[in-house]
Amino acid sequence: MKKQMLKRIAAAVLCCLVVFTSEAGVSAHAADGNSYVYDGYVYDFWGEAQECPAAFSLGGIIDSDSLAYGFGSIDDVCTSDDGRIFLADKTNARVNVFDEKGEFLKTIQTVYAGDKKIALNEDGTQVKLAGPTGTYYHDKNDELYIADSTNKIVYVLDGQTYYLKRMIGQPDNLSGVTEYVPSKVTVDMADRIYIVVQSSYEGIIELNEDGSFSRYFGVNEPGVNLIEFFWKSIATDTQKEKMGKIYAPAFTNVVTDSEGFVYAVTNDSAAVDSVFRLNSKGENVLREMGGIPVIGDLTSSGVTSSFIDVAVTDYGVYAVLDNTKGRIFLYDYDGQVLNVFGGYGKTKGQFSKPTSIAWNGYNLVVTDTDLRCAYILNPTDFGQVMLRASEEYYNGNWDAATELFRECIRWNSNYEVAYVGIGKNHLMKDEYEDAMYYFKLGNARTYYSDAYNGYRGEQIRDNFWIIALLFVAGISALILSEVRYHKKAGQKGGTDR
Amino acid sequence: MSTWERVKYVKHCLFHPFDGFYEAKNRGKGSILAATVLIALYCILDCVEVQYTGFIMNLNQISRMNSVTIFISALTVLLLAVISNWTITTLFDGKGKLKDIYMVLGYSLAPMVVIDACIVLASNFVIEEEAVILVAIRWMGIAWSAFLIVTGLCTVHEFSLAKTLVTILATLAAALIILFLLVLFISLVEQMVQFIYIFSKEFMRRI
Repeated sequence: MKKQMLKRIAAAVLCCLVVFTSEAGVSAHAADGNSYVYDGYVYDFWGEAQECPAAFSLGGIIDSDSLAYGFGSIDDVCTSDDGRIFLADKTNARVNVFDEKGEFLKTIQTVYAGDKKIALNEDGTQVKLAGPTGTYYHDKNDELYIADSTNKIVYVLDGQTYYLKRMIGQPDNLSGVTEYVPSKVTVDMADRIYIVVQSSYEGIIELNEDGSFSRYFGVNEPGVNLIEFFWKSIATDTQKEKMGKIYAPAFTNVVTDSEGFVYAVTNDSAAVDSVFRLNSKGENVLREMGGIPVIGDLTSSGVTSSFIDVAVTDYGVYAVLDNTKGRIFLYDYDGQVLNVFGGYGKTKGQFSKPTSIAWNGYNLVVTDTDLRCAYILNPTDFGQVMLRASEEYYNGNWDAATELFRECIRWNSNYEVAYVGIGKNHLMKDEYEDAMYYFKLGNARTYYSDAYNGYRGEQIRDNFWIIALLFVAGISALILSEVRYHKKAGQKGGTDR
Repeated sequence: MSTWERVKYVKHCLFHPFDGFYEAKNRGKGSILAATVLIALYCILDCVEVQYTGFIMNLNQISRMNSVTIFISALTVLLLAVISNWTITTLFDGKGKLKDIYMVLGYSLAPMVVIDACIVLASNFVIEEEAVILVAIRWMGIAWSAFLIVTGLCTVHEFSLAKTLVTILATLAAALIILFLLVLFISLVEQMVQFIYIFSKEFMRRI
């Protein structure tokens, strides 16, 4: 009896030990061996934040130990299709090149014109970067664009040798009052160059391929404040002069997508929109079909996100970097929020002053100028499935996408985007009942309505005779009662007289 | 008149409000029972609406729904309206008694109750484009009820239309004042209870 008791106690202690040790393991590494340094969430139909596995985890770090000169600051990041990472360092006046793993490849400060031949300016001085703040790798022509805001020049370098190809200074025909201080740069498929000047209210500067000025691009509408409108409406002209004008909010960052649209963000709180997908006319054609607006954290959460950079994939998924809370928002082509993660803090993977973000294949590269490091973020198992599902869906491989969405649900059964994705596939195959089931789970009322429309049509067709009979019966009952009523009334009238 | 006949008279009031409410008030054709039933139905329907409106038209977060809260808040609004209208019309020399106002309000809810019930049922069989029609019908029900309230109050208080509308506005103000006083009263009582509690505690310690 006593022995048994002892055994039981021993077993209990062992159990506790096992539970506690495995518990400790979970907090650092999940079962699949990935380390999750981020807590993710998504916004549901009602605009409430719902927990969700983070789509990315920290894969590698590029910091000052990675290169001999160290980092003075990190102002921008761009990547090439072959996986190279370019980090612009304004303080040290360098652009540093790394491979996809974060291994140092090269640093660019003095620009060469050919083999061991330093490029010279017109006045005979050496061409040297002074304050690069923006980089863009143009994969089509294998060119590296570096926007230097100190020299006020955009340098175009060969993508492989990094030899100088051309320099784009201030165009002679630049109109407007904007000072030509290139801060960020991007190039579209037609080789048009878009240059962002910080706090320029005229828009993005669009240059032709040869560097001549084309136009100001993109309209960023300021929001209308009712109270301000009221005061302005009763103010005299002299008062109005002193009040200061409302300027169109400036764009903060730009990037082009594979279809030639320009994605731009603004962190000006006066702007109506914060993320832009500009068509060639400069209008915002960003799709916002997700039910909640693409503004980062919703106003109901009490946080106003301010975006400083955006990165777009070939399949329409874009990541926006917010510097209010240091979060990264992932949206798909339709503007549905896929995942939100990241935050300020002191541990590895957290931010202090994030500056820019770029896709590198399925990986993300995010830079932080305060910590002087760049994080290489790898997609988690959930993130991989989620991104691939969006990619397959975007490319029209709906069956493959459905399988992936199903897997998404295995990781997160509250994931509305995945339910809607599966529902859409069923809807396209006219499987209305299944579609309705998934749209209901995904809280997609418009799509549910479409599915229900089909379902109802089917039901009416199948039961046409019953419905027709009921209808005829109803009509005849109505007529019968009318006839009876009038007969009665007629008789009454007859006796009255 | 038997109870059943008086209940059936509600229908007459809906289609002939001036006539109906006059007879209901002065010739004993009104039924407090019918009014109570209609008010109860209205409050229950408020809960049903949240739960059973079809998915397409239902934007409520059903997982967060609390039927008791919905029922009580609907009831509170109605009772508050009755009481504040009574207080105001007494000042404005209205001829209606508290009973009459209660009856008018109860009867006036009838179109809303019937139409909303039909809409809850129909909303399960419509698509988004057709939902607009249901919303329009609901507004027609609300308009009918509002019309009944105005004419009903006109009749039982023997007011002109303008005076009725003024008293309705005053009723809203009175309702706000009543709410304000209630909140004030509750917080004062709370403070008093706290005071007595602390005082007695200290008193016990000292003994």
